[in-house]
Amino acid sequence: MIQKIKKLLLNPWFQLVLSVLFVTTSEVFLKRGAVEAPRLSEEMNWTGVSGLASPDVWYGILFVIASFISWLYVLRFIPLTIAYPLSNVVHVLVPLASWFFLNEHISVQRWCGIALVLLGVLIVAKPIAQMEENL
Amino acid sequence: MTPVSALLIFVALILYILGQLFLKHAMEDDLGSARFKKNFAVGLSTMTVSFFITLGLLQHFELSYLYPFQGLSVVIISLLAAAILREKLTPRLFIGAALISAGVVLVSLS
Repeated sequence: MIQKIKKLLLNPWFQLVLSVLFVTTSEVFLKRGAVEAPRLSEEMNWTGVSGLASPDVWYGILFVIASFISWLYVLRFIPLTIAYPLSNVVHVLVPLASWFFLNEHISVQRWCGIALVLLGVLIVAKPIAQMEENL
Repeated sequence: MTPVSALLIFVALILYILGQLFLKHAMEDDLGSARFKKNFAVGLSTMTVSFFITLGLLQHFELSYLYPFQGLSVVIISLLAAAILREKLTPRLFIGAALISAGVVLVSLS
């Protein structure tokens, strides 16, 4: 059992999935935190430093760090031309999470864009999935 | 969108792309080497600055609108990884990357 978990954690493709899920979670926390943070002067607002007053921003940062560590592991084993396009499944997951958790509106055009991203990710992922099966 | 916010979105994007390339280059190295430390430090710095600019932008724009700007980075990173890091970029991978970027642009225009 422990061996199986260890093997899973050491799998760069699994770490890629983890990284993407952590990024999505972090974005939802960061948006929530950035909105509720007290407004400082206009110039300070643009730096985002005032956002640090919100606990949600700190949760967001923790998830950013977790995704970053997973991503570094991915970079060691998977070429950027494959790993980076695949990581862009966040452009499907983040709008879905914004819609579900933050009640943001998604227009028809936006849904079409999300579908295109998903198609691109699947095109990159398919030969890899077959390659993994053959191993 | 004001000129200032457009500039900030652009700067955040460039720094993010540089960060990815430097980090990938670093992680392929011997993790104890001086070259790893240098590349890693550069990658981490540019990504950190990009992160805080993005955080500031989030105070003014909806997440589902703002975040996809980074999607333009897909095609750029794939091309630069092939050119600079000498990775294999097959037609299939490039088509996938182009579709993702196109989708992301469509999302950010709506």
